[in-house]
Amino acid sequence: MSGFLELAISGLMSGLVIGLAALALTLVFGVARFANAATGDFMTCGAYAALLGFGATGSMVVGGAVGLAAGALVGMVSYLLVFRTLEGRPSVSALLASIGIGFVIRAVLGVVYGHGQQVFQLPLVRPWRVYDLRIQPNDLKIGITALVALLVVFLVLHATPIGRRMRAVADDPMLARVSGIAPRQVMLALWALSGAVAALAGVLLGIKTVVSPEMGWEMLIPVFAAAVLGGIGHPVGAILAGVLLGVLQEIATPYVGFTYKLALAFVILLAVLLVRPKGLFGRVEGVR
Amino acid sequence: MTLSRRQTLAALAGSVLLPALSRTAGAQTAAFRIGALNPITGAGAPYGSGMQKMIVAAAAMVNDAGGAGGRTLEVSSEDTQTQPQAAVLAAKKLIEVNKVQAILGTWASGVSLAVAPLTNDAGILLMNTSGAPALSVPPANAKGLLYRFQATNDRFGRAFAEVATKQGFKRPATMAFNNASGIGNTEGFRKAWEAKGGKVVENVVYEPNQPSYRAELQKVLAAKPDVIVMGSYLADTTIILREWFQTGETTKFIIPAWAANPDLVKALGPEVTEGLISVDSISNEGSDAFKAFDAAYQKAMGQPGLSNVYAAMTWDMVVVLALAMEAAGPNADVAAISAKLREVAGPGGKAVSTFAEGKAALKTGKIDYQGASSILDFDQYGDVTPDFSVSVVEKGKIERKYIVKL
Amino acid sequence: MDAYLIAIAIITAIYVLLALGLNLQYGLTGIVNFGHVGFFCVGAYTTAILSEHGVPLVVSFPLAAVLAMAFAWPLGLVSIRLREDYFAIVSLGFSEVVRLVATSERWLTNGVQGIAGIPKLFAGWLTGPAQSYAVLGLLVAFNALAILAMLRIVRSPFGRMIEAIRDNEEAVKALGKDPAGFKIQVLVLGAALAGLAGAVYAHYIGYISPEQFLPLITFQIWMAIIMGGVGRISGALVGAGILMLFLEGSRFLRDVMPFISEVSMASVRLGVVGLALILFTMYRPQGLMGDFTRK
Repeated sequence: MSGFLELAISGLMSGLVIGLAALALTLVFGVARFANAATGDFMTCGAYAALLGFGATGSMVVGGAVGLAAGALVGMVSYLLVFRTLEGRPSVSALLASIGIGFVIRAVLGVVYGHGQQVFQLPLVRPWRVYDLRIQPNDLKIGITALVALLVVFLVLHATPIGRRMRAVADDPMLARVSGIAPRQVMLALWALSGAVAALAGVLLGIKTVVSPEMGWEMLIPVFAAAVLGGIGHPVGAILAGVLLGVLQEIATPYVGFTYKLALAFVILLAVLLVRPKGLFGRVEGVR
Repeated sequence: MTLSRRQTLAALAGSVLLPALSRTAGAQTAAFRIGALNPITGAGAPYGSGMQKMIVAAAAMVNDAGGAGGRTLEVSSEDTQTQPQAAVLAAKKLIEVNKVQAILGTWASGVSLAVAPLTNDAGILLMNTSGAPALSVPPANAKGLLYRFQATNDRFGRAFAEVATKQGFKRPATMAFNNASGIGNTEGFRKAWEAKGGKVVENVVYEPNQPSYRAELQKVLAAKPDVIVMGSYLADTTIILREWFQTGETTKFIIPAWAANPDLVKALGPEVTEGLISVDSISNEGSDAFKAFDAAYQKAMGQPGLSNVYAAMTWDMVVVLALAMEAAGPNADVAAISAKLREVAGPGGKAVSTFAEGKAALKTGKIDYQGASSILDFDQYGDVTPDFSVSVVEKGKIERKYIVKL
Repeated sequence: MDAYLIAIAIITAIYVLLALGLNLQYGLTGIVNFGHVGFFCVGAYTTAILSEHGVPLVVSFPLAAVLAMAFAWPLGLVSIRLREDYFAIVSLGFSEVVRLVATSERWLTNGVQGIAGIPKLFAGWLTGPAQSYAVLGLLVAFNALAILAMLRIVRSPFGRMIEAIRDNEEAVKALGKDPAGFKIQVLVLGAALAGLAGAVYAHYIGYISPEQFLPLITFQIWMAIIMGGVGRISGALVGAGILMLFLEGSRFLRDVMPFISEVSMASVRLGVVGLALILFTMYRPQGLMGDFTRK
């Protein structure tokens, strides 16, 4: 039983990382209406930038801040250089371009840092024992960070003027424009927010695992599955779906085997799209 | 969609006419052509350049000693990109354009397996540094023209079993990265361990690139092993060991050295890595041949020869090939040279360490080239058995403890 | 020298076959298939496994195409009605699952060890250069057939229908036609071409393993048709040619760009594919060969 619970906790942690990335994906999807396939590579950027900050100062908080800033910057630059031009074109164009951006990011990181792994050298600690359960202090930190991030995104969306404008654009771009909302500014803010959230997911993933140029891209399918499962454009849904996916993946492995763990995300994605395409929490907006 | 028939025909014609563009006559001279086909780019890049430079350096050394069997060696170099498809094209170029009679130094197993049918068809030699068991037997080694200078994954597994016995472990479990090399190591271990009458308590194969390996670890640890034998790489080993440490368990690990290296110790720190056992196939370090190789490697790369075991192998490839040519006599064909390969490297002759020494000794009798990479005794499959070093991580330093000979 | 150029021509022709399939799907019908390599993989493994068991090539080749179709059909059935970008990710996931199955089911595919010693085409009858010419001839024949078939399709009512679906799916629905049925047919047809390409690839390279079927292949083909010209058959040919020129040409790139280390060349290749995707979608969506006025 305790083994089962420990698996669930482990899944929860992976799920929070997936959920945060799904949040980044869903923010852009909800407003700009295309799947940003470079989300995973934004994560990677965040992780490398955080390594830089951490290496220079030795403080994980500073490292994390540098990572977030880099993620926001990459998001904004991608928008200004590429996605702004592609507004109004079929969503496939933006999707293809985002694949291209992902490739370029991976290529640049590969050239600059090589393909070897890098790690955050944080002190490792043995677990606390609560009854028969092993609780790892690092897990708690990751969990708290993810929740705080979610709270901040929620506040930005619902309690700031720019957030309100974002939601207005998401609901009806034409109406928003007529009401005098400058879409450029809103979009910039949106891309910055999405980039920063993705970067945070990347930093957490980097702490849990190792940092390499491909780390984010490999997560794309689970992340997309979580975004769809949560309902596109629904921030809380994305996180919850990510957690659900993470826990399911871990708990199911004794039954489906370790190699098919990754196929599970795909099956869930397909099932959701077929049965309940608006996701668990989504509003009625066509995926068909 | 507007498309005229003329456009289509023109485009079709283009793809047909392309091959007829040029024709070069390959005039044969008194040179024996060899192709250096190495992983210059891609995953094998850290080793590829050194491997290629050693082929060139060894060939120059042979030529300086007056050539082999009356011929000089001529090297053409290509890059496999560590990818089967690119390697096939490169091999085609070497065979057809450069007319090489031996290809030396393919590294990844997938690349060697893809190139082998081409060299077999052309009836030329393929000397590789790959680990996959499939390279020992047909169809890959259908004509006996494949020679392998690296330990097979199977032999790595056998070395692991030797180490486990020597350290007194009783209940080993295995974890393998899901690729040919990872599974090859742990399967080799399982076979050798069971042949000794032991039992492996759990086998887990995992997929790479996961945010966590706790489920896999939990399954292995549930069987209460006293040691976990890994067929793994650096990145996944880093994550697994970190998560293992955080479970609070105190199992031991036997890990191949390409994963349990200084980078791993640096990534995890001394406390986590204390007591890890790292096993590596090693060059024939004390030998005179190794000294010669080391000097050449220092000169070409500015690093000690110990830093690239594969370069020692490619060095040996050229020397053994040249000695076989010398033994086979002037203008011998590939089959005749191949027939002499085992003879000049195998036991039962005067031990020699350089080409010049061997060339002189061949005038009076049989020789046994003791290589820089291993003593180079090819078995019936064209495989060699290098020695293995066993190291233990102590206070953040990887200390070599002893050598295992199979 | 001939044989090297023929080898390049053969690989190019395999890319052309893949590009033609994708062009049919995306260029003519607007299906965003990000899982093309999955069908390529199915075709390659089908014929490799069958010929391991002594099935003659005349049987295993058609079966490679048929099996690729058999994989495409249910995929289309369950997901073709999705919005195009959803379908894109689903198909990407599909190709990854195919690769995962090839990796995991060792009894069938020999897992990560791959299948070695796949017999050469025409092995019994021809050797040396003649054999390579025959393979190239076969590929040219396949391509020619595919092109002829596509030309016929374009001029048929079916062709007008799928182009209408590409240009305005809503209008097609308004006319009371169901686009999904047509799109599934196109998906299946394109998969057949990819399966066939996979079969030739397997017998030409002689060794296949799961790691040869990464999504990167899919996006290289995307780069090819986008650079060549979406919706144009000549575009598929030109695009595949450019792709090959780039992949083989990068062997010589190091000579002109000495500041890039050997290790980084793989990254540079990836970056160029990415940059080409970005720049062409932004500035020349019609590709080199096409005008895009109809879209």
